[in-house]
Amino acid sequence: MTRRVRVSLVDAAGVRGGESIDIDPDAGDAPPESRRAIVTPLGTVGHDGRRRVEVVVDGWRFELEVEDAVRAELRRRATREPDAAAADGPAEIRAIIPGRVAAVRVVAGDAVEAGRTLLIVEAMKMQNELRAPRAGTVERVAVGEGQTIENGDVLVVLR
Amino acid sequence: MTDAPPQSTDGSSATSQPSLRKDGASRRPPFTRLLVANRGEIAVRIFRACREMGIETVAVYSDADATAGHVRAADRAARLGAAPAAESYLRGDAIVAAALDAGAEGIHPGYGFLAERASFAAAVEAAGLTFIGPASTTIAALGDKLAARRSATGAGVPVVPGTLEPAPLDRPDQVDAVVASAESIGFPLLVKAAAGGGGRGMRRVADAVALPAALVAAAAEARAAFGDGAVYLEREIRPARHIEVQLLGDRAGAVVAIGERDCSLQRRHQKLVEEAPAPGLTRDERRNLHEMAVRVAQAAGLENAATAEFLLDEDLRFWFLEVNTRLQVEHGVTELVGDLDLVREQILIAAGEPLSEAARHAAARASEPVRHAIEVRLSAEDPARDFAPVPGLIRDWRMPSGPGVRVDTAAEAGDRVPPEYDPLVAKILVVDADRDRAIDRLARALAETEVSGIQTTLPFHRQMALDPAFRAGPFPIDWVDEHWAEALRPGRDAALEAARWAAAAAFANLSSPPPTSTGRAADGSTPWVRDGRHGAIDRWPR
Repeated sequence: MTRRVRVSLVDAAGVRGGESIDIDPDAGDAPPESRRAIVTPLGTVGHDGRRRVEVVVDGWRFELEVEDAVRAELRRRATREPDAAAADGPAEIRAIIPGRVAAVRVVAGDAVEAGRTLLIVEAMKMQNELRAPRAGTVERVAVGEGQTIENGDVLVVLR
Repeated sequence: MTDAPPQSTDGSSATSQPSLRKDGASRRPPFTRLLVANRGEIAVRIFRACREMGIETVAVYSDADATAGHVRAADRAARLGAAPAAESYLRGDAIVAAALDAGAEGIHPGYGFLAERASFAAAVEAAGLTFIGPASTTIAALGDKLAARRSATGAGVPVVPGTLEPAPLDRPDQVDAVVASAESIGFPLLVKAAAGGGGRGMRRVADAVALPAALVAAAAEARAAFGDGAVYLEREIRPARHIEVQLLGDRAGAVVAIGERDCSLQRRHQKLVEEAPAPGLTRDERRNLHEMAVRVAQAAGLENAATAEFLLDEDLRFWFLEVNTRLQVEHGVTELVGDLDLVREQILIAAGEPLSEAARHAAARASEPVRHAIEVRLSAEDPARDFAPVPGLIRDWRMPSGPGVRVDTAAEAGDRVPPEYDPLVAKILVVDADRDRAIDRLARALAETEVSGIQTTLPFHRQMALDPAFRAGPFPIDWVDEHWAEALRPGRDAALEAARWAAAAAFANLSSPPPTSTGRAADGSTPWVRDGRHGAIDRWPR
């Protein structure tokens, strides 16, 4: 039986990014190199049969979202998921590590270029600059200086 | 002499644990009980030495570490406070109180946290406890990088050109003077924290325009990390190699160098890989280097362990950088090459013993080493995202073993890597007859290593161990920054491709698992597809 599975890469904040690929694991056209994979199911996403999986290959860790490809296609059409938005990068910039906001460098209404520093986040004793993934206008700054942030928290919204 | 005098005849009551020595000889440990004011792998490393010496161990912990590996490894443990280091591992008063309360006779600070705080060592001494490390006065003289630069200059050792006094950050009217001294040192230069280490509180400055902001940022980071915002300027010697000398000194004033380490493999001043000895040095170059390091240490009256850091420039000149008055993260490579236990030496020296036979023997052979050791730092960092720290929960945890392999870690499967502290989770060390064979062994050991649940620096280290340029060595400090961001991409892309197939196989298997009698090898699928199926069978929640 052929069952194609749609596989999407998910970042550490749980945001889907990159292209989704449909794979038939029984088709036998897998890449030929021999690699060891550690596969751990992480649970269900929503109520529509999507699952989250962690896979580690060659020390690289990925979180992937998997669902039946036919079902995924139906769902996409039904909800008109705006795939095009992905090309412009996410509008919501989320924390990818827990830490503390050391400095806020923008305010709502600022026009920013791609790469402009938005925030400085202190985590594990290091200061990390958080930069705009694309050009846009700051719609909202969701955090303040000194605030503790958790993985996945919305920090800045661009439009 | 390596050990304390034998116990008196009725000495069996002096220690709570019976001797396990086969010859029946029992020796009185130099201390009954020691507290380690640290966490993670280094606390476990120190406990191991204590246990071998018959010394009871006391751990301290923050709320983030209540069930951490170093707490599990100790005989007893005391809570310090909340998760942030400032409320726990940096609270010298609470640590001294915990030591007194637990009946510990001394405190080993490990590295980081309070290890090079002279005020902490002084507080330990004032409480009547033994500080396992240099005297507080020595830490003040050597641990302050500015004071060390002045001291080395006095001892006739060439130091990296730069300022010898802290930059006056609190004086806006002095900005012009700082810029002027920077101009005379020359750009690009480095702004460094006087109390710093590990690249924290350090900034590279390309021109005068960027200097004020860099001074402020470095001072803020230094204040947050070390509680001291003093910064100074230093010329950037580039290209250069980072080479450091392990020193031991006893109370009688004898100081020896136990060989050098090459720590050039860094990323933004954070060491990634360290090896001993430094590749490519002649016996005479080694002797000269060790002799300069001993001179710096003797000028400061070093007792216990310290490390003198040097830069080696293109013309093979050594420039003194600083002295770290602590046990280094990378001390293990020196132990593997020199065949001694530096923590044991520290404890014996702190108890007033003269330099041991093992230490003197290692020092005598230091300029003609017959082994080579390499350490890689496995950290919870993502090499694909600029080595950003990625704390989390460790799921699978398989460390390498076998001939010539040593792993220093406090972590186990199921442990959390908290976001509050350094992301180092394990040090993987190998030793073999020469550098080539050590690299072969490293590649083998890293192939055995598996971690899931958190991203680690493992893929970087695996690729490094197989890289012809690493084998050819030596390489300057900037090598990783300049060559590795792009070099990692193809390997990660290939891993992602395989991961997608494994994930698809795991999902497809959910509703129609293959008959288990088929076995994993008989279905003709590629390994990661089988692993994906296997993962689904074994672990998918049902």
